Amino acid sequence: MAEKGLLVLFGSQTGTAQDTAERVGREAQRRHLRCRVQALDSCDLANLIHEPLVVFVCATTGQGDPPDNMKMFWRFLFRKSLPASSLCQLDYAVLGLGDSSYPKFNFIAKKLHKRLLQLGGNPLLPVALGDDQHDLGPDAVVDPWLVALWEKILALYPLPPGLEIISPDVRLPPKYTLHYLPEDSPEPQSALLQPAAPRGAPCELQPFPARVVSNQRLTAQAHFQDVRLIEFDIAGSGITFSAGDVVMIQPQNCPEDVQQFCQLLRLEPHRRFVLEPTEPGTPLPPLLPQPCTIQYLVTHYLDISCVPRRSFFELLASFSTNELEREKLQEFSSAQGQEELYSYCNRPRRTTLEVLWDFPHSTCAIPADYLLDLIPRIRPRAFSIASSLLAHPERMQILVAVVRYKTRLSKPRRGLCSTWLASLNPEQGDVRVPLWVKKGGMKFPADPATPVIMIGPGTGVAPFRAAIQERVALGRRGNCLFFGCRHQSKDFYCQTEWEELVTKGFLTLFTAFSRDQEEKVYVQHRIREKGKLVWELLSSENAHIYLAG
Amino acid sequence: MGEYGLAPGQRVAIIWDSSSPVEALKDLVDRVQALVGADNHISVENVNQLPLSAHRKSSFDVILSGMVPGSAAQHSVELLAEVARILKPGGRVLLKEPVAESGNNTKIKTASKLLTTLTLSGLVEVKELKKEVLTPEEAKSVGEHLGYQGNDLLIIQIEGRKPNFEVGSSSQLKLSFAKKPAPSAKPRVDPAAAKLWTLSANDMNDEEMDLLDSDELLDSEDLKKPDPSSLRAPSCNEKGKKKACKNCTCGLAEELEKEKKGSQHKSACGNCYLGDAFRCASCPYLGMPAFKPGEKILLPENQLHDA
Repeated sequence: MAEKGLLVLFGSQTGTAQDTAERVGREAQRRHLRCRVQALDSCDLANLIHEPLVVFVCATTGQGDPPDNMKMFWRFLFRKSLPASSLCQLDYAVLGLGDSSYPKFNFIAKKLHKRLLQLGGNPLLPVALGDDQHDLGPDAVVDPWLVALWEKILALYPLPPGLEIISPDVRLPPKYTLHYLPEDSPEPQSALLQPAAPRGAPCELQPFPARVVSNQRLTAQAHFQDVRLIEFDIAGSGITFSAGDVVMIQPQNCPEDVQQFCQLLRLEPHRRFVLEPTEPGTPLPPLLPQPCTIQYLVTHYLDISCVPRRSFFELLASFSTNELEREKLQEFSSAQGQEELYSYCNRPRRTTLEVLWDFPHSTCAIPADYLLDLIPRIRPRAFSIASSLLAHPERMQILVAVVRYKTRLSKPRRGLCSTWLASLNPEQGDVRVPLWVKKGGMKFPADPATPVIMIGPGTGVAPFRAAIQERVALGRRGNCLFFGCRHQSKDFYCQTEWEELVTKGFLTLFTAFSRDQEEKVYVQHRIREKGKLVWELLSSENAHIYLAG
Repeated sequence: MGEYGLAPGQRVAIIWDSSSPVEALKDLVDRVQALVGADNHISVENVNQLPLSAHRKSSFDVILSGMVPGSAAQHSVELLAEVARILKPGGRVLLKEPVAESGNNTKIKTASKLLTTLTLSGLVEVKELKKEVLTPEEAKSVGEHLGYQGNDLLIIQIEGRKPNFEVGSSSQLKLSFAKKPAPSAKPRVDPAAAKLWTLSANDMNDEEMDLLDSDELLDSEDLKKPDPSSLRAPSCNEKGKKKACKNCTCGLAEELEKEKKGSQHKSACGNCYLGDAFRCASCPYLGMPAFKPGEKILLPENQLHDA
């Protein structure tokens, strides 16, 4: 087997591609293959030409776009200057994850496969296209593809003599071992979320802990949906943004869930620990202080409210001492059991915590070492920024609709981030939210004379509120907004500020209140009504149209 | 083979329009019925009803259109496309239509235009079988029906076939590829190429870099979407899958065996306390978490009603 072994590179937006890449990594371990699993933008691109065997697992996101953690790689790959025979040493396979209800279904995987071929690479298999639209999700493609992949790879790099494939019954070692510090060791000096001197603009690995200035409910109390306008103080952060940009917020679990989790797993929240990688060279998990408390780990890091994946059940089964539970967990991790799993977990959006509650004997047998293998890290959530620095310097405002809905589970489903943000009360002290800014997809025209037509029902209007504030501050008057919501008296947020702008001649506002009359009236009806005006703006004044919601 | 080339057992459709005399239509249907056998169903469709009837695709062996004596039926591309759709691969269409050679009337086609229309709608082996001259009375009635005053009307009989393959079918081309070298026999990386690559990789400030258009890599195959039927799991339906739990004492297991549909409000199965993963499909506690031992559970009123 070549020195280097197998390299698995992934580009993942929501974590699915990363989870799949890690699954490939575990299966490689079982076949005694040296394996490294890395995000594309973190790998050593210069050495890629010397890699003999690479598996790419790439999601397609947005409008046929590469995920954030492979954007740099993507731009590199398509440089005209790369010689055509560069990758002649490379055997590769590409697995794509996408959704065929989008027109650019799996475009990243398809293009990657062809470009690698163009650069001289040798594909082991045709490109595999996982599809969210399949009843069984991407696994319908991934499972058979993995079988074919290992066949090809083991033909090229057979198992060393005398070794067998490690059976799925044998548990692989954890990525990190957890070492509790003795109970009487000294307390750390600094609190864990103190604002440190910023080194460069805040980013995912170094969020800015912004103070919450205000948290105001915009919708009437009687209205079914709770929508908030939340303002953050970003003074001293070095953060700048313009209309259309997006803020990433790192949420945390609620205290009740944290307590329940610790009880179920018999963990003591106040205990401190350090992590040690089992494989030398594995980087430590990002954003986890060392030493760390269990409380911190469960509150800020472990995503116990996410819907668990197949790999979760596979690992949990291996700890189970209870026959009934183990059988069921193994069923859920088998290929044949995927339909059952989908019905038990995905469709009703059952959380990891709820699953652990349903399997008490297996849960209390989970060793602390395996916590980070079992449960993924909490992912940040994106919100369109709803204010402009020109109108509110050193401040950032967002519109948050609290996510709350019912499935067949008796407890209603809650959005982790929206529920947490709604619960923050700045009057109770210094409340901080870790955040950073990402460039958004929408760009507003540089030419002051170009009018903009914005269509934004509901909280979709957030980036347009920012755009309007920005443009008004710059003296630009060509602003036309189509806003839709259900009731003028209940969820017409920003009514006062916009009506003021209308009076001053800065804004043309058309509203559609869908439920204020018997027949439904939506923004598209208003647009049709005002067709003449819209056409005028488009044809004679080159207006730009924006749509969000 | 009988008249019109019909054989017993074939599925036939007869298309008529308002110009076809009722008696003559009935007569034609009877004759065709005699040819294909008494218990074989013939579909008789008015030319305007045909698209609305939405017959299953590829279901007819032979279609006769405008074949009723005295018919002045005209065939549009859309009608013929529908005919092509509902014909089986290899199936035949026989039609008659009035044509005029002058070619300057928009209502009546020339013979060659009619032949082209069949081809454009997807039929192959289109051939003119014969031309019939009309009797003066026939010519008069057809002319009146179509609003045509010229006296060069002819009835043309044409046959066409549906191609022998289905829409969307594919077959693999046999291409020969040179055998791939074994891993040990891989070409060595050209040192110049390696240097270029490494230099490029170390320069990630790519503001001025020239990039290829990645969209150009994709061909029509790549732009295709998967067939929706390939996305279904074999028996994936939300309501249907009733499952009995392992030690079922509530009778669901027997019910499933008898394939009776029943609903149970009371659960005597021993697994309710275990959680949704173990409960049977009729358990009133579905949706609630597992119970702690000794916990008393009160079901809210609304839950008792749905099973």
